[in-house]
Amino acid sequence: MNAKPIRTALGLVAGLAAASAMADEPRTLTVYTYDSFVAEWGPGPGIKKAFEARCGDCRLEFVALSGGVDLLQRLRLEGEDSAADLLLGLDMNLMADARDLDLLAPHQADLSRLALPIDWDDPVFLPYDWGRFAFVYDSEALPNPPKSFAELLAAPDDLKVIIQDPRTSITGLGLLLWMKRVYGDEAPAAWEKLNDHVLTVTGGWSQAYFSLFMNGEAPMVLSYSTSPAYHMAVENTERYQAAEFAEGHYLQVETAAMLKSSEHPALARDFLDFVLSPDFQRHIPLGNVMYPAIDLGEERPAVFDRLIEPESFTFSPEEVQAHRREWIREWLNASAR
Amino acid sequence: MASEAITAGKAPPHDRRRLTHLPLWAGLAALTALVGLGLGSLGALLVQAPGVSPSGLWREPYLAGVLRFSLWQASLSTLASLGLAVPVALALARRPSFVGRRLLLRAMELSLVIPSLIALFGLVAVHGRQGWAAPLWEALTGTPAGYLYGLSGIVLAHVFYNLPLAARLLLQELERAPAAHWRLAAQLGLSRRAIWGTLEWPAVKRLLPRLAALIFTLCFTSFAIVMTLGGGPASTTLEVALYQALKFDNDLALAALLALAQLTICLGLWALALSRGGAPSLVAGDGTMPIKGRWQRRDALGVSQITDSLWLVALALLLLPPLVAVVVAGLGGVTDLAAQASLWPALLRSLVMAAGAGGLALVLGLALLAGRGWLAARGRRLAAGLMEGSGQLILVLPALVLGTGLFLLLRPRLGGGWQGYGLVVLVNAFMALPFVMQVLRGALLGLPLAQRRLADQLDIQGLARFRWLLWPRLRRPVALALAYAMTLSLGDFSVIALFGSPSAPTLPMLLYQQLGSYRWQTAAATALVLLATVAALFMLLAWLTRQLPHYPLSNSHRPGAFWSHADDRQEP
Repeated sequence: MNAKPIRTALGLVAGLAAASAMADEPRTLTVYTYDSFVAEWGPGPGIKKAFEARCGDCRLEFVALSGGVDLLQRLRLEGEDSAADLLLGLDMNLMADARDLDLLAPHQADLSRLALPIDWDDPVFLPYDWGRFAFVYDSEALPNPPKSFAELLAAPDDLKVIIQDPRTSITGLGLLLWMKRVYGDEAPAAWEKLNDHVLTVTGGWSQAYFSLFMNGEAPMVLSYSTSPAYHMAVENTERYQAAEFAEGHYLQVETAAMLKSSEHPALARDFLDFVLSPDFQRHIPLGNVMYPAIDLGEERPAVFDRLIEPESFTFSPEEVQAHRREWIREWLNASAR
Repeated sequence: MASEAITAGKAPPHDRRRLTHLPLWAGLAALTALVGLGLGSLGALLVQAPGVSPSGLWREPYLAGVLRFSLWQASLSTLASLGLAVPVALALARRPSFVGRRLLLRAMELSLVIPSLIALFGLVAVHGRQGWAAPLWEALTGTPAGYLYGLSGIVLAHVFYNLPLAARLLLQELERAPAAHWRLAAQLGLSRRAIWGTLEWPAVKRLLPRLAALIFTLCFTSFAIVMTLGGGPASTTLEVALYQALKFDNDLALAALLALAQLTICLGLWALALSRGGAPSLVAGDGTMPIKGRWQRRDALGVSQITDSLWLVALALLLLPPLVAVVVAGLGGVTDLAAQASLWPALLRSLVMAAGAGGLALVLGLALLAGRGWLAARGRRLAAGLMEGSGQLILVLPALVLGTGLFLLLRPRLGGGWQGYGLVVLVNAFMALPFVMQVLRGALLGLPLAQRRLADQLDIQGLARFRWLLWPRLRRPVALALAYAMTLSLGDFSVIALFGSPSAPTLPMLLYQQLGSYRWQTAAATALVLLATVAALFMLLAWLTRQLPHYPLSNSHRPGAFWSHADDRQEP
């Protein structure tokens, strides 16, 4: 009764082992990234194809983890023995911690191609896309969204928003930093006001957006300013839009980096150079629903011209590293009542 | 390991002395694997941690609040689940046949294994502010429906998960009462209260401690539900604090401490529960005559007709609408399915892994129970309890700690490929073990003494003993246990996410990928496929073992009746 499934499983395991052994023959670059990047409809498959066509005899293998935080943790656990040649998906807020591990090598890519809203000269982390955190609203339920944080905080209590937890989610941490940047020492007081509008704080973005927001539970959800691009381009609906806040929006920059321990450093640098080429970047706007890191010109989908273009800002990675725990505690004290 | 014991039975009889120790060795081997990997991974965390000081738990006032809230919500959820499960189970036992009973029992089995993301979607669609029930709530109370967020929502979701589990186990226990008792109750025309005092309460009482421990543990360690419905950081469980410590802060020492705190609380509770009360089993192992239609219960008439209907309708209203919501949402995306190249490979991958995890959980569960039986038969009660309790270890050890610890143990490196899948199968098998053991233990340990002695006298040993004595009473529990283990593994996302995959997702990973890329419709359809697969697995495994095995010797007597194992009341 039990033997059969086990045998089947062993067969599968053996098959996979053989497959991975065979894969080692050509030069293989292993890239750790997050799961939506490698999805069938995500940017991963197109990028793999383009890079393999460019390098000729090499292979690009993605290993999908669940998010940027998991990439960093995997890197920590594996250290110099890591199977990865490259990491794709560490955002700015994880950069300082990743740098401190002393496992990453300079990218040596030409940064003049970059088209970011901020200056970038980091020698190790190479931006491949970026976006702004924003509250996405349902224009049918909320025809007149708040035009600033101040308006949101002063709105009647029945205006509800769904946010994410900064302890478990990238977007949640983004909001924490956004509020801190806007309100500084007044952040706790601002949080207390915002909390009157918070319907719930979910662990991750998927629960907030899918289980709650798309079910109509609240008219606003914390997400990215690029989210409406997907709805407009793929679902052909103008219903979901991002609210533009007068105080400005916090930036997220996602980066690629190579490991010192890579067995194919030259090939890994080739890949990093390829990251800033149109062949890579054209998969970003609708595949990853983020802004490309270079100027794609005509190739950028037209819906991106209809997104909000607010002021944007960040803390430096070192500031985030130094204060993150303290700011999270501040948020907890203001919210855990 | 258990199958070793069985096949080894082919050895000549003079080996029997040695053979009789096999259950013990099998149990010990399973115990070593479980406790070794469980505590080993915790140990690996502790070793890696720079300096562990237990005072870290007290230094942080926030953690004390987290602990308080975890205990509070778990206690409330347990009380509510059990308090409601008792009348529901009584009503189900009193009404052995009504239209839709089978469907209701099926839905009760399903609710335990639905992935929390899907359950949450269904609950929000029904109970949310814009849910199906919202207009009713507003008409009744005059206030907008906000009850899904905050403590009430957490308890509601936990009741949705655990009431069916508790009621299902209670029902089995009630139905295990010997037929003679029911006959007597009918002949004496016992009133409702008298039946409660003589038959129902003793059965319920036997079960409550373990049931309470099981549900408390499940609620105490709940993560996604508490986070999504909790409303804010005031509703934080230890698991969330642990996630933060391990992932964001890389504070291995704090993570290990939190895991230890959780372990201590839950294991303490289990020790208390195991030391009192009998054991629930999901399948009646002891044969009883079918109650259905045999004995007229006086308490089945009168007022109870109304109250029972109310309880059963309430159960259906709790269980079915969220499932229907998932199906409705999924149907909307079915047209996208054809275009999804990765769906069927993902389903196949998930099924193969689930089969591996299910088989492994079954083998481990049988081995532990066999070892426990061997010890108990020799009066080693404490050792027997320890062996059985070890099966619950994984329930209280956070998957994140287990995963990270295993990772540290298996360094220098864990290839992204098949070792990852192998580990997931292993951890999934461990996670299914508590459920598998609940299902199997009644059948395996409930072998009546008289039958065992008869078999001993007739020297029925080894394969024959298994074939004629054990297998007929094990086949159905084995099928149900396998169904639970496989479906739990099928819906698991927490473990697979830890190890990563080389762009070959399992079904739940695919679901998350779709959500991560805004593909709601497709994701809903994938959730429907997952739900349908789970239901199909339950039905298939029940169907495969529904027929009694063919016994060539029996003409007038069905062997089932002779061994009194046949439990025909059980729906297929």
